[in-house]
Amino acid sequence: MNDDDYAIRVENLTRTFRSTRGTEKTAVDDISFDVKRGEIFGVLGPNGAGKTTTIKMLSTLLLPTSGKAFVLGMDVSLRKNERNLRMRINVVSGGERGLYYRLTGKQNLQYFADLYGITKREQTSLIDELLDLVGLSEAADVRVENYSRGMKQRIHIARALINRPEVLYLDEPTIGLDPEISRGIRALVRRLADNGTTIILTTHYMFEAEELCDRMVILSKGRIVGYGTAPELKNSVSDAEMIRVVTGKDPYQIVSSVEHMDGVIGVRTEMVAGRYETSIHTEKGKDVLNNVEEKFRDTDIRSIGYDEPTLEDTYLHLTGGE
Amino acid sequence: MNFQAVRASFRQQATQFVSDPQWIIPSIISPFLFTVVILMIYQDVTGPVVLQAVLGGGVLGMWANTLFASSFTISYDRVNGTLESLLSSPTHLIDIIVGRSIWNAFIGLVNALLVFVIAELVFRTGVAMVNPLLFFGTLILTLLSLASIGLIFSAAFVFSRRSYVLTSIAEYPIYVLCGAMIPITALPRWSQYISYALAPSWGIDAMKLASVEGYTSMTGMNVWIDMVIMIAISILYFMIARSLLATVERNIRETGSAIRY
Repeated sequence: MNDDDYAIRVENLTRTFRSTRGTEKTAVDDISFDVKRGEIFGVLGPNGAGKTTTIKMLSTLLLPTSGKAFVLGMDVSLRKNERNLRMRINVVSGGERGLYYRLTGKQNLQYFADLYGITKREQTSLIDELLDLVGLSEAADVRVENYSRGMKQRIHIARALINRPEVLYLDEPTIGLDPEISRGIRALVRRLADNGTTIILTTHYMFEAEELCDRMVILSKGRIVGYGTAPELKNSVSDAEMIRVVTGKDPYQIVSSVEHMDGVIGVRTEMVAGRYETSIHTEKGKDVLNNVEEKFRDTDIRSIGYDEPTLEDTYLHLTGGE
Repeated sequence: MNFQAVRASFRQQATQFVSDPQWIIPSIISPFLFTVVILMIYQDVTGPVVLQAVLGGGVLGMWANTLFASSFTISYDRVNGTLESLLSSPTHLIDIIVGRSIWNAFIGLVNALLVFVIAELVFRTGVAMVNPLLFFGTLILTLLSLASIGLIFSAAFVFSRRSYVLTSIAEYPIYVLCGAMIPITALPRWSQYISYALAPSWGIDAMKLASVEGYTSMTGMNVWIDMVIMIAISILYFMIARSLLATVERNIRETGSAIRY
């Protein structure tokens, strides 16, 4: 594979912030990875793991403290590359901010089209095409302040596509959206990748990463703790096993004692379809199933047994349950 | 300069402005109140002195509007979360701010003209201008010189969340130092040097020369020399603002400070 096959190459990238009191905090610590052209690449990690700082460095908003990052073959640290690079990339941030609320969806797109130097002649067809792509043609002349949250996120994506970017950074694009709208956004992301756009996706939702990402990195405290495809990442924790217990009652009273059992690495409970699903990460070879069953005796057990680790289990294992 | 970005930012600012009904407060109600207060102060005076007073009110309206609008335009982007999108675009901040400042200057002009119209139609001040056409030209150029100071302040706003303190502190001293209400020659000698370094001082002097009968220039020069000096200083301000904003943009990339709110 030669250099042209890569959209992004990151080599020992580090970013340190200095507070006004003189203390230093390393947000991104010596990370290296690469992203192939046309790939959907996930950057996963808990809050404060360094995901957004990484995106900011790769999108020329922030200079690295040390290390190198090349996007479309251009060094992001060099000032001479800034304008050229910005013409060929774009960023979507999650949440409702980042739009001019008193302008219509179409006026927002026109403004950013002008900032990217797109001619008026091109703008007409491009904006119609983008509004159609994100399903907002009928709301084009409605002020953004009257848009729903999902509509705002879609117009965000349309805004970021205004320069037909070769690399698109999506920073938590489905955060706070309902499942139906999130599914629509994921379908849109898949369509963009199918058309050749390289996508860097940061997300908290593991099912989203598993559904969309060809490969991913998992960050924890600024460092890479996992890197590869979803199956590769799951295999990387083959020293662990997973017991899944589904109960009718909330097992919150016994979780703490299960966590302290010999051979147990971590415990997580979530509500799934009106039942409580507890995932217990255990060391391989330590047969703790009977002891776990005993602990859960009074919680109305519906099912219990060993299970394959999901990406979420792997993520929690790698990030230490953050 | 990226004229497409300048035009687009002018249009964006105009659309935002008219879509917010609050524009009536700074652009209609505020000049009306300025005029009322000024004419109450000068109620027993007639002729050129009243015109000077009305001019002072007009300039204050222009200055307040231009300074605050130019400065807060980027502050709005910071709060609104659009600053990050602007910074990640290939357009330089100076082009965006210039476009928006031209709109703000235009509104400042409307503001100033309203003061004169209200003084004439509502309060019947009945003062005649020496050369109305020349006066209008000096008014527009003075407004642009005020906007050029606003550009420098806007750089501070991109950089810091607390720059409104700087704007609040600067508003009245600059207004006084420019000689809008009190003649510069009546100010202490040391502060007169600061006045001469302010572009609007020359613009206001030119405006008074073009409109007030018997007005003596602060330096004894004529209206054209005043305007040339004002344009030269305004260009210098623009260069300073451009360089400041470029430094601020570099600093943002180094510290990441402007994109935190």
